[in-house]
Amino acid sequence: MTSTEPTLPSAASLRWERRRSSVSRFWKAYRTHRAGLYGLAGLALIALLALTAPLTVGADVQSVTQAPGTALESPSSEFPLGTDQFGRSLLGLLIWGARISLLVGLLAAALSVAIGTLVGIIAGHYGGWFSTVVMRITDWFLVMPTLVLAIVLATVMSRSMWTVVIAIGVTSWPTTARLVRAQTIAVESRPYIERATALGGGHGHVMSRHVLPNVMPLVLAQTTLGISTAILTEATLAFLGLGDPTVVSWGGMLQDAREAGAVSSGHWWYLAPPGIAIALVALAFTLCGRAVESVLNPKLGVSR
Amino acid sequence: MVMVTKVPPRHTPPHRALRLLLASGVTAVSLVAVPGTAAAEDDKSAGNTLTVAVSQSIDSLSPFLAQKLTSTSIHRLAYEYLTNYDAKDARTVPGLATAWTPSADKLTWTYTIRDNSKWSDGKPATAEDAAWTFNKMMTDPNAATANGSFTANFAQVTAPDPKTLVIRLKKPQATMTALDVPIVPKHVWEKVGDFSKFNNDKQFPIVGNGPFVITDFKVDQYIKLKPNKTFWRGAPKFDELVFKYYKDGDAAVAALQKGEVSFVPNLTPAQAAALKTQKNIKVNDAPGRRFYAIATNPGAKAQDGKTFGNGHKALLDPAVRKALFLAVDRTTLVDKVFQGHAVEGEGYIPPRFGSYFWKPSDAQKRSYDPTAADKVLFAAGYRKNAEGKRVGKDGKPLDFRILCHATDPNDKAVGKYLQEWWGALGIGLKVDCLDSVSDPWVKGDYDLAFDGWSVNPDPDYVLSIHTCGTLPATPKDSGATDNFICDTEFDGLYAQQAVEYDTAKRADLVKRMQSRLYDTGYMNIMAYPNALEAYRTDQIASITTMPEAAGNLWGQDGYWSWWSATPTASASDGDSSGSSTTVWLILGPVALVLVAVGVWTARRRRTTADDRE
Amino acid sequence: MTTASTPADVVRAEEARATDGAPRTGSSLGYLRHAAGKLGGALVSLFAVLVTSFFLFRIIPGDPVKAMTHGVPTSAEQLATLRRQFGLDLPLWQQFTDYCAKALSGDLGTSFQFRAPVGDLIAEKLPATLLLTGVAVVIYSALGLWLGTRSAWRHGGLGDKLNTGIALTLWSVPSFWLGLLLIIVFSVGIGPIPGLFPTGGMESGTGETGFAYVLDVAHHLVLPVVTLVAVGYAQTLLVMRSSLLDEMGGDYLTTARAKGLRDDDVRRRHAVPNALLPTVTMIFINLGHVAAGSILVETVFSWPGLGGLFYQALSVPDLPLVQGLFVVFAGAMILMNLIADLLYPLLDPRVGR
Repeated sequence: MTSTEPTLPSAASLRWERRRSSVSRFWKAYRTHRAGLYGLAGLALIALLALTAPLTVGADVQSVTQAPGTALESPSSEFPLGTDQFGRSLLGLLIWGARISLLVGLLAAALSVAIGTLVGIIAGHYGGWFSTVVMRITDWFLVMPTLVLAIVLATVMSRSMWTVVIAIGVTSWPTTARLVRAQTIAVESRPYIERATALGGGHGHVMSRHVLPNVMPLVLAQTTLGISTAILTEATLAFLGLGDPTVVSWGGMLQDAREAGAVSSGHWWYLAPPGIAIALVALAFTLCGRAVESVLNPKLGVSR
Repeated sequence: MVMVTKVPPRHTPPHRALRLLLASGVTAVSLVAVPGTAAAEDDKSAGNTLTVAVSQSIDSLSPFLAQKLTSTSIHRLAYEYLTNYDAKDARTVPGLATAWTPSADKLTWTYTIRDNSKWSDGKPATAEDAAWTFNKMMTDPNAATANGSFTANFAQVTAPDPKTLVIRLKKPQATMTALDVPIVPKHVWEKVGDFSKFNNDKQFPIVGNGPFVITDFKVDQYIKLKPNKTFWRGAPKFDELVFKYYKDGDAAVAALQKGEVSFVPNLTPAQAAALKTQKNIKVNDAPGRRFYAIATNPGAKAQDGKTFGNGHKALLDPAVRKALFLAVDRTTLVDKVFQGHAVEGEGYIPPRFGSYFWKPSDAQKRSYDPTAADKVLFAAGYRKNAEGKRVGKDGKPLDFRILCHATDPNDKAVGKYLQEWWGALGIGLKVDCLDSVSDPWVKGDYDLAFDGWSVNPDPDYVLSIHTCGTLPATPKDSGATDNFICDTEFDGLYAQQAVEYDTAKRADLVKRMQSRLYDTGYMNIMAYPNALEAYRTDQIASITTMPEAAGNLWGQDGYWSWWSATPTASASDGDSSGSSTTVWLILGPVALVLVAVGVWTARRRRTTADDRE
Repeated sequence: MTTASTPADVVRAEEARATDGAPRTGSSLGYLRHAAGKLGGALVSLFAVLVTSFFLFRIIPGDPVKAMTHGVPTSAEQLATLRRQFGLDLPLWQQFTDYCAKALSGDLGTSFQFRAPVGDLIAEKLPATLLLTGVAVVIYSALGLWLGTRSAWRHGGLGDKLNTGIALTLWSVPSFWLGLLLIIVFSVGIGPIPGLFPTGGMESGTGETGFAYVLDVAHHLVLPVVTLVAVGYAQTLLVMRSSLLDEMGGDYLTTARAKGLRDDDVRRRHAVPNALLPTVTMIFINLGHVAAGSILVETVFSWPGLGGLFYQALSVPDLPLVQGLFVVFAGAMILMNLIADLLYPLLDPRVGR
């Protein structure tokens, strides 16, 4: 109403434009990494399977009272991967289990990176004795045997999916924290930060509006790589009997297989598929992560 | 191969990594090269050794400290107890004592000690040793750690002569012919200083008077025993008995299939099914001595009357408990979870102990009937809300927790079924699996729990844990109680049976106790799991089960299985058919690696040589 | 690896380390100051580990005495005796001061379930773990270095792609699963493959001595070592590959080639030694994981080492044993990190020592 002249593009739309172009630039560079594309395709496929699981196999696949088969059947046309000790279809469980394994992997990696980013930015921004103390703690966490700590945490808390998420997240953040801190220090040495501070930008403003966007690429790469580690750790904890026994996950299936004595009775079809699934997903995330990383930081030399 | 000459080895830093590689290559070669020889060693010594796969660690080799099943089973083999249980029907038979008589007031027991039992160092085992053992346990609390419950009621123990042991009691005690206490040699043990620290595992062989003598022990690797040639009942037939550790059940079964071990206990149904089809292996599927149950929290309380814990209030209503138990299909559990290797649960004591076994009358019995369960809940005022959830008296949906042992696959499996059965009633269930359930358990912080006990031939103990007297004195103390059941009628019957020396009358009292326990509805006995175990018939020719007809081998009350086992005559000639294949499969990779290393070294040297020119 | 770090993590951790810590001055005084700082830091970390291990494990729910006697006829008096024997009847602060005083004199307490000094139990199991993981680390480091070098030198080629692909795939495999598969195939035997290797344990226990005993142990080592190597070598390979690629951008290599040196020699004499630096540092850090890293493989193969002991101690919970093991695991990490920190400036050619 107040202005009738042709509007200049608003700040928001400018930012939007800038982001879109940087995303397309990123994609153009990513496309040149063939391994990364394979990884992405694999992930898309698995994500599709996991998301459509309620339609394809249905939640009933978990039911023990309505299990269609008999115990530990070998693969057949009805059960392509055979059945477990309750007579449930292993193929169905494998697809259903993808949901939990992926969910736990994503959540745990997100938690870990969130903690790491927060600690890293704060330590890098404030500096001084505060930073020293925080980094001392980070270093201390860095030398803790991660798996041992995760086992202890999972033992302390009750068996549930969230326990596993927290156990992984809380123990694997220090690397991210160190990297983010280094990046924060680098970003804050740039002149425009000084300008922002001079213009009255507070700590919160600098950290959220200037530092955070600049460390985001690093955080993204870190998350992608973290997911594959988190999925492996989830399987490990479930295998050690520290997962939620009433929820179907890949690691849990391996644990079930072992407890049923599938190894010595030669039921390899029970044991092999969950392990292969874990390896494939972990591999896919690693490939994507490496590709993202070399796009963002070609100096690392992990090019194709 | 390329001829390599003239170039002396160089010592420039860049090659360090390469040499490291070479070294590890050699390690790899030595790793791969091994099997042939080692396998040959295995075959040679397999002759007359009986190897038993075990998984549970030894807590201590001192009979005063040991509490775990593996340890106590081994003590049964190494030390003779006063009495033993007959392999046939578990009645009391002579052990170190040949005869025993109570006084008229049932407060003084006189045991006659046999004169043909010798310690493995040659000294005779006498009443003096037995008296010393009991007196030690009565005077030194550290020595009472493991078996103090037997001597808590002892007033005085004396040995007037080497053949007579006299025990005076404070009040009558029903377990006087079932004193499962290893008697130790006084001349060895009186030198021990601190009983809480002495593990009896430094000097081998360990002096004992049982059918076997412990000769070697390596934590979590093996325990070795040799037969006691002078054992009064006759020496065992095998030349050596080895308990070998396999922390993983599958590894133990694989070892059995390969003949590395002779016996494996605690099989899963799948393992048993796979082993059944193999030659030279016999699967023993025997009625077990355990019951497997769901216990409800009856409102944990202490003897001072104070209640504690956070058990769900709705479970105090008998109707809720009845409905829950009516919705448990025990037949399905036996079929699916145990794959038929269990007997459907009824009374408290397993049918294996025939004289004490009791089953509910038709009027009492809670058979599987989900419709009836629904009706019971409805009649008691528990209605379903709009979302189909059953609502409690406080207006909140009914959601229970069940404590489960994370190490027990059966708990987790049954938990899944319970979730679905009770879910159909509109009742939620959270399966809380923990490595150690005892903490929430003793604090009373549970709604339901998976429960199970191994029952001894004398049922006194498993009955005692449901009496009011075993409740903790105050909420801070801990008591021997199983799940805080306290019922005056049950207690009265317990007191009667404890002093009843007439076996038939006592058995009748025990059955009435079980009936009462069933009616209180705090526990639902789901199954009596079978003992599933397997042994190699090409190593063990015969072995005594307990009970003799359809009994188990591992965890017997006596030492019958290992004492009676006889080796197969031709056990020593192992099959040699596989070994030549083995040799080739090993030599192949070794040769490959050697060639590779050779070629690689040659190339390296050649390039170095080029470089010098 | 069983430890939760990706190869890229390690590279970046190395970068962070390089920017953070290593002195860039060439003086020996600077190095000494650097070393003293790192040593001090390590001591502080070790002390922090000692203190936290006490409190961390007190939050494990579970009464050890109850857990140990579960399912065993035990009277209230016996329980009280056990509590007194274990020192659990004392107030927490007193348990803590006792623990600290003893730990400082090298006494880690007495295990609840084995009733033996924790130090002795650890000392008894340590050689088995060191043997297993030591052999594995040596082999996979060597394998990783070799394949990494080859891969980087011909990077982009089919060999490189195959190499990296296989390594990454194996690295994504859960180690316990691979171990179980190896047991099925090579120990139980499938079809025509006979069971070649023992299913578990470290020795047959049939009384071999001397060389026969060594062979017997080596025979038992094969499958667990293969598992650890397969899952672990990718890390070394990738780090070696990427740092060698970094080096290859260097001008001096072009100069060296221009001088007419053969490709192989350029690689061996110039590129590899420089690229070894981050890899060697990483190998030391891997050695730090040695104690804790094999928990899974030890469980699967019934290997009588520290990993199995830890898992068993945790389920009781056997507090003194869990604490002691935790201190040992973390101590190994701290020690190896310290060595890596001290070695870094010594090995770094740019520091010019």
